[in-house]
Amino acid sequence: MRALISKILDVRTADPDDARRRRLLNILLLGIFIVAVFALIGTLIDSAFRQGADPEETQLTIFATVLAIVGIFVIYLINRRASGYVAGLTFLLLLTGIFIISDSPQQLTEGRSLFLFTIPITISSLILAPRASFLLAAISSVIVSWLALSIGSAVNVFVIAGFFVLALVSWLAARSLEQALQELRVINANLDQVVTERTHELAQALERERIEAGRNQAILNSIADGVVVFDTRWNAILVNPALRGILDMPTELIVNKNFSDLIEHPRLSPKSRQLLHAMMQHDTQPPSFRVEWGKKTLSISAAQVYDNSKDRNANIGTVTVFRDFTREAEVEKLKSTFVAIVSHELRTPLNAILGYAEMFKESVYGPMNDKQVNMAERIMKNTQRLLRLINDLLDQAQMEAGRLTIQMAPVRPADLLENMHSVMDQIAQEKNLKLTSEIDAGLPHFLNGDGARLQQILVNLVNNAVKFTAQGTIHVRLFCPYENKWGIEVSDTGLGIPEEEVPKIFDTFHQVESGVTRVHGGFGLGLSIVKQLVNLMGGEIHVHSNVGMGTTFTITLPLVVPAESLETWRNL
Amino acid sequence: MSQTALIIEDDEDLASIFAEAIRGVDFEVELVADGRMAEERLKNGPPPFLILLDMHLPHISGADLLMNIIKKDERFTKTIVIITTADARMGEAYTEHVDFVMIKPISFVQLRDLTSRLKPKEQS
Repeated sequence: MRALISKILDVRTADPDDARRRRLLNILLLGIFIVAVFALIGTLIDSAFRQGADPEETQLTIFATVLAIVGIFVIYLINRRASGYVAGLTFLLLLTGIFIISDSPQQLTEGRSLFLFTIPITISSLILAPRASFLLAAISSVIVSWLALSIGSAVNVFVIAGFFVLALVSWLAARSLEQALQELRVINANLDQVVTERTHELAQALERERIEAGRNQAILNSIADGVVVFDTRWNAILVNPALRGILDMPTELIVNKNFSDLIEHPRLSPKSRQLLHAMMQHDTQPPSFRVEWGKKTLSISAAQVYDNSKDRNANIGTVTVFRDFTREAEVEKLKSTFVAIVSHELRTPLNAILGYAEMFKESVYGPMNDKQVNMAERIMKNTQRLLRLINDLLDQAQMEAGRLTIQMAPVRPADLLENMHSVMDQIAQEKNLKLTSEIDAGLPHFLNGDGARLQQILVNLVNNAVKFTAQGTIHVRLFCPYENKWGIEVSDTGLGIPEEEVPKIFDTFHQVESGVTRVHGGFGLGLSIVKQLVNLMGGEIHVHSNVGMGTTFTITLPLVVPAESLETWRNL
Repeated sequence: MSQTALIIEDDEDLASIFAEAIRGVDFEVELVADGRMAEERLKNGPPPFLILLDMHLPHISGADLLMNIIKKDERFTKTIVIITTADARMGEAYTEHVDFVMIKPISFVQLRDLTSRLKPKEQS
């Protein structure tokens, strides 16, 4: 119904003002049409039932009403098809014409019907243009003056002035209405502009996102490593195609499944299964590790994903990268085997050289002069140095292969120091350095530890201290800083380590300043091995150094007193 | 009991150095260069006064010789057993089964002094 009314009333035109005016005219026409129809019906009923009705008057009324309806229809057509202005003006003139014939000239010029002329004036400003009210005021003035003159009255100047005042008011009102509408249209237009721009931006953003997502997918697809993204409950939400080749199974068996399903796969070795379970349970950043998957060795690294937006640091899942590490693992194994064999093969002849040199020194086959003894000693010393280097290399290789293990047994701290002295005293003496040691009273007489490795740590640290100390003292202290910790402290009065070098001194094959190394020799493995051993023992190593003043290495280790063996060892 | 020191060592040079050190304190030295020959000698020959046993030998390892023959045969209860190894940890593992553990490199003087102390007093 509403749509039908709209269809009847609305006029399609580009100018919104024109459309509004023509619609308004249509409303008026419709209103008058309805009134005319009712009037027609009323007249017909009246003439049929009322006695004494004047048939001539009735005919005239019917004729006039029908004429009005036809006129309305014609104006409507003009309004719709041709021009709003023509239709509007015609309508107003017709209206005025009807008013003129609707009453006596007397009444029209100064009586009850004078107000009728105000209607076209007011309406004209709305359906034609604001200033059209003046035109209608002028037309009305002419008509009223003409009517007045025709009946012999004087022209009523006040009425004409009143028409023009009304025209002025109508003009002002209609004009401000049009201006308001104009502004509204500008605002609307701006709003439309903004909406269009935003829509365009949104479309572009979506397009970018789509491209980005496509690119990310392409990147993910082209990564040679297998990538699996898990949500917080370890359900695989994203898997890249490379995983298929690495695990030799379709990715459909992984995606949308829980990680625990994969862990139960028979191809996984029991030890690897344990590692993966541990990875799932640890909420902290798990490191990368290797697992045995059938005949393959896989390196798995996992990283938690955090959502840093919206000022929250929520864990939203885990990204795991699977890499086929089989070849690397084989190479590593080969390398460590190679190093082990080479080290053994190198050590054996060196042991022989050492033995023969010692025999020379001991004058086993007849007396030797001082120079010959000295030379034999030099051979021994250099051979020993070479042996130490080989041992370091072997240790390093074993540690890299993860084959070096710590074996705990009751150890007597006093023995550690005694053995250290037996190896290092002579070396310190040769450089005129004092090597002193102490055991703090709080340290138990026995503690659990790997004697051989602790010995190695002590010897390496003292050896390092001797290397970098020109004069003064090297002091070794065993102490007990807390109830469940014990410590080793080796301090020297040597060169010190420049601050920028400190973080690097534990690196494998690192040497402090090449010049110093050339003087002192060594692979730069000593401290690296110490640190790795300390880590294997679950301890920590710290270094404090002042250039020119000396360096102090402090190691803290977990303290476990061997309760069972305490008595046995005490009795020894 | 004979005053024999049995040296079981596969490296010829080391064996000769050890022999020289032990001979220096007037032991009779007998050399065996591999595990199988050592097994043969231990089973069939008279028990020596002292055995210097390398833990890493061809064919049969020193550890096997120690645990399967020397420790099981009553004839060796009085024999002094010294094991030699480059692996300190391995040496540690056998401390309670032997009299002495010597970690390679073994000093000529050290071995000479040790064996000298071990020699029965009436002989020195």
